[in-house]
Amino acid sequence: MSARRPHRAAPLLWLAPALAFLALFFVAPLGGNLLRSLTEGQAQDDAAFYYAKLLTDEYYLSVMWETIRVSLITTLICLAVGYPVALFLVRHAGRWHGVLLFLLVAPLLTSIIMRTFGWRVLLARRGLLSNTLLDLGLIARPLDLLNDPVSVFVGLVHVLVPFMVLSIAAVLQGIDRRLEESARVLGASRLRAFLSVTLPLSVEGMATGAILVFMLTNGSFVTMLLLGGGKVVTMPLLIYQQFTMTQDLAFASAMGNVLLLAALACLALQVGMLRRRGMA
Amino acid sequence: MRRRRPDPVAIALGAFVLLFAVFILAPIVIVVVASFSAENFIAFPITRTSFRWYWRIVEYRPFLDSLITSVELAFASAAIGAAIAVPAALALGRARGPVVTPVTTFLLAPISIPAVVLGFALLYFLSALAFGVSFRSLLVAHSVVAIPYVFRTVLSVYRALPASLEESAAILGAGRWQVLWFVTLPLVRPGLFAGCLFAVLISLDNLPLSFFFGTAQTNTLPVVVLSYMQNQFDPSIAAISTVQMAIAVAVLLVTERMYGLRRLNAL
Repeated sequence: MSARRPHRAAPLLWLAPALAFLALFFVAPLGGNLLRSLTEGQAQDDAAFYYAKLLTDEYYLSVMWETIRVSLITTLICLAVGYPVALFLVRHAGRWHGVLLFLLVAPLLTSIIMRTFGWRVLLARRGLLSNTLLDLGLIARPLDLLNDPVSVFVGLVHVLVPFMVLSIAAVLQGIDRRLEESARVLGASRLRAFLSVTLPLSVEGMATGAILVFMLTNGSFVTMLLLGGGKVVTMPLLIYQQFTMTQDLAFASAMGNVLLLAALACLALQVGMLRRRGMA
Repeated sequence: MRRRRPDPVAIALGAFVLLFAVFILAPIVIVVVASFSAENFIAFPITRTSFRWYWRIVEYRPFLDSLITSVELAFASAAIGAAIAVPAALALGRARGPVVTPVTTFLLAPISIPAVVLGFALLYFLSALAFGVSFRSLLVAHSVVAIPYVFRTVLSVYRALPASLEESAAILGAGRWQVLWFVTLPLVRPGLFAGCLFAVLISLDNLPLSFFFGTAQTNTLPVVVLSYMQNQFDPSIAAISTVQMAIAVAVLLVTERMYGLRRLNAL
């Protein structure tokens, strides 16, 4: 008799429905997209036409750069805002732990329409923030934050920062506090102990959160559409516009594939991180 | 007893978190308050309150119809996602070998693909299959996204379970299906419900995915509100948003009550 194997609830065959479903409705459509971008429209004569256009036309290059820039800035802001919150959640929250968790889930319970609507009311020229600051005499003229890139970042950070906080908190939770205490006992200042012990140990949480936020920003367009006032044009927004206005399907497919490539790169990074954690 | 000195770092962090709380809650609270306005426009402070904009939801058919479509779609796609993802998670949970990681990554991939790309690609694929723009197409699209959410949580719960529970049942004479039904499935239930919860919440607000499949007959709420918002900017948007949030909160609370998500560490 063979050696005892751990009990298995299901044979590998049970993977079949999931694999079949995703092969049909996930892989095949994306493959169709690739094919369309290489064979239809102006690509009929020159398969690389649309990709050449994306990589040589100054406008499209600037849109791609803008996409990366917006994602990077959003990620950095989320890091800066999220780290202190995660630290408080793990170390100091005490009885406020539940309340803080609720705060982090709250944006996910609201629709994207609700959040952008709220920001529009708050940030408009005659909005709540501008009027309050005027009344307090802190500013002389109304602020027009709406339709300014600032409001796009506000909207993106608002919904994405919880992912960062939870990623960092998960790692902070596992750090042995005695390590930081040992550093303190050995004479390190509080800041020094944090900077050279806790912070490096939590890099993994920051990286996980950063990849997640970067990836999610890369794919979002509704915030740019409703808060950007046409000033922040990224790839997903351009695809949306291609679809609704110009209807150049083959070109939209090509843009989608570029975006897809970026997403796959992030996914590969993520998998690499998970594997490293698994081995550590 | 010596009183502990207040910790300046904790106080500074606390103050920061307080600001953070204002930042998170402000746009949400504003919309809820605006939904009770009696005016035709949005102005603060609210001077008169009324429920007229909630009545507008009932009167303006597209809002109510699309709300119903959205809720049906969210639950149906979560159910399909669960039916497909749970067997897969159970099959992979204790499997070993070189295929495990690639297959797991593949089943999680739909989360990472931008919804705009997926929606666009599926639209033309399903049109070629003569599904066209219909509720069926929406259901397929949302199920693709629901699968990884359920798969992820069920897999992590199942992997954390000791195999000995199922083995004991088998040794005591339970058959394969009995073990599955009476031992494995009840044990992974928190993961199943957490995954379905995520799937429902994501589906309710998946504007980029739904956007491509809307017709006059079947449209999801976010798509309808988006087009409404581009023409009008009145408090009915606030009212319908508040209703949608109330539904999401209710789903969260019911799931929490019944299946104790707090016990689940995998968020």
